[in-house]
Amino acid sequence: MTALTVDESTALRASVHALLADRAGEAQVRSAMESDTGYDAALWAELARLGIVGLIIAEEHGGSGAGPVELELVMEEAGAALLCGPLLASSVIAAAILAAVDDSAAAARYLPRIADGSSIATAALTGLTGTWTPEGIAVLGAPPTEPGGQWVLNGTASFVLHAQNADLLLVAAHGPDGISLFAVDVPQTSVVITPLPTFDRTLRLAQVEFAGAAASPIGEAGAGWSAVERALDVARVALAGEQAGGAKQSLDITVDYAKVRVQFGRPIGSFQAIKHMAADLLLESESAISAARNAARALAEGAPDAGAAISLAAFACADAFTTVAATSIQMHGGIAFTWEHPAHLYLRRARADAQLLGTPAFYRERYLQQLGA
Amino acid sequence: MTGALLADDASGHALLGAEVRSWLDAHWDPALERSAWLGLVVEARWAVPRWPAEWFGRDMSDAQARVIAAEFTRAGAYGTGQDRTNLWANTALSFGTDAFKREFVPALLRQEISMCLLYSEPGAGSDLAGIRTNAVRDGDQWVINGQKVWTSGAATADFGMLVARTDWDVPKHRGISFFFCPMKQPGVEVRPLRQITDEAHFNEVFLTNAVIPGVNLLGEENDGWRVLQTALAYERSAMGENARGPRRAASNGPVAASHEVDLIELARSAGCLDDPVIRQDIARATALRSLNALNTARAKAELAQGTSSPIMSLGKLAMSRILHEGARVQTAILGAATLLDGPDHPQADDANFLTLNAYFTSIGGGTDQIQRNIIGERVLGLAKEPEIDREIPFREVRRA
Repeated sequence: MTALTVDESTALRASVHALLADRAGEAQVRSAMESDTGYDAALWAELARLGIVGLIIAEEHGGSGAGPVELELVMEEAGAALLCGPLLASSVIAAAILAAVDDSAAAARYLPRIADGSSIATAALTGLTGTWTPEGIAVLGAPPTEPGGQWVLNGTASFVLHAQNADLLLVAAHGPDGISLFAVDVPQTSVVITPLPTFDRTLRLAQVEFAGAAASPIGEAGAGWSAVERALDVARVALAGEQAGGAKQSLDITVDYAKVRVQFGRPIGSFQAIKHMAADLLLESESAISAARNAARALAEGAPDAGAAISLAAFACADAFTTVAATSIQMHGGIAFTWEHPAHLYLRRARADAQLLGTPAFYRERYLQQLGA
Repeated sequence: MTGALLADDASGHALLGAEVRSWLDAHWDPALERSAWLGLVVEARWAVPRWPAEWFGRDMSDAQARVIAAEFTRAGAYGTGQDRTNLWANTALSFGTDAFKREFVPALLRQEISMCLLYSEPGAGSDLAGIRTNAVRDGDQWVINGQKVWTSGAATADFGMLVARTDWDVPKHRGISFFFCPMKQPGVEVRPLRQITDEAHFNEVFLTNAVIPGVNLLGEENDGWRVLQTALAYERSAMGENARGPRRAASNGPVAASHEVDLIELARSAGCLDDPVIRQDIARATALRSLNALNTARAKAELAQGTSSPIMSLGKLAMSRILHEGARVQTAILGAATLLDGPDHPQADDANFLTLNAYFTSIGGGTDQIQRNIIGERVLGLAKEPEIDREIPFREVRRA
């Protein structure tokens, strides 16, 4: 897809904003986070109808054919609204893996159903340590023992996004050729999916145990991790956008409150103790937006420094969102210590996002290596 | 002919460009002395094309002025665009009487007059409207008594732009006047101010019965705060994009971000590039610079699209943090080596110097705290802190 014009991206953003304002307000987010599945299926269907679920899936597979720049913009809106659902799991990571593996049959089989929202896919890439590197993989793939037989997976994957809602798992496993990718249809008896209790209630994670699970290899044997890495770059840009949007919204909520909360006969925002915190947070949140959009642009253009730009966005946006959401509670005072106030929902999301694809320290180290150190 | 007769469109711009080119072909000579060349530029009305025709200008638009600037740049010549860059001339033009402008503006445009700023005082830093330097009218001149500080170039300046109090019985913003103060007179004493970096770029200026001719009052008596706001507007914003590097790299001016200390190379040479704590520190410090550059680029792009951008006001605050954090990491890398100083220990000397000079940005031109007030109030729309001295006669304002 060619880059959107300013008007087109404004329109895309506005349409997502309007839908989420209508259907993913605070009450609806709370209702979704307290539900079994963790998301609103009717809203998911509406997002699919608008082309957001299939945003980065190629048009030939029923998607919108958009790139990282549009994805990042949409994720800013999703982050601002604390949207619940498998957008990152299915529409971003799983879709990007299927686009990155060189396997047209698998793409044709799975992507159209992911794009129209009828299938929820997710990627099982990390083991119990939650490390987003090849060393973190704790699943073994065994080749067929007889002609026409099936590959079989054994082992454990954890921190798997929305596995409890998925019908397709894309699994990275060690095998005779190195790390390969497999498609596993669920439910099946040899796959046990156990939901995990999450700190961020708007998030769904599960542990997945493979006990001789039937699996179909996708892509080239032994080339699994390079496809995962390419997909993770797309996911990192998406997550950075979510964090930047979340940080901005958390700050906006806080500044609005500082204008109306009156103590000592004046709005608390007139006190320099509060005002200076707000100014520092504006620098954080604006820097996060710049970093996330720059990473999206670099990835879209295939720029030579895209890797470093993505690492920079990964830790800058994670730190910005965490700082803004945490400071927001302090600036509000007692009201934000209550469950009913949304400030903690942003802090919960910020802390989760800062671990989801690797820690800020991991990305700082990666950034430095990408700068040649 | 003034160029305003040319149409402000593509064909008019082409004609204008050709006119400038042929004039430069005939007159530009890099060997000419600075004021002689500037004299030619002023006489030919290229110095301030956006100014009115009656005052050395051509009543031109920004677009036309850019055409002229582009031709000057192409030829390697200088002296145009002073309607944007010459703080002194712009202030004089905006607020001087006709007699004053006739006397001063051409000389300011030829840059024959050396200038300095007499704003801050020991008791009026962040609260600049709290100045106590006194100006009293005496016939057709003013007599000045007081003390100014943070004045660079005071020792060589011919004139200083001075704010002084002319009415003590009205609230503080309403009793200030703005002058062009002659510096070379017995009532003006300049003493270099030794900075924490051991340099002396600034001076204290003691004014003892110094005399200013009446014509050198800019704006109305007691309307100096307004003149000052206009003059300050010409100065701001540059500090967010550039900052000074190590003292050996540049004598005095700011250096671009690309001249910054390379922390990775420094750590490599110090043998600690494999220290994980240092690595995290370097990544953080390097990221701050990259983020500020990305913010600046995004702000410019948004402004070019006609969207207002909140980011422009963040640059100076960001630069303070970049400089303090960068110097901190430099120090962490070098460790005990920073106990030593001076030209025989250049890496330590840089780290030590930059640690102290970072305050130039976080205090000078408005402290970080004042900057946060500006961001909070003008960008985020938070209410101002009540000012207990705002509406009372200045004479009654509490002093230390």
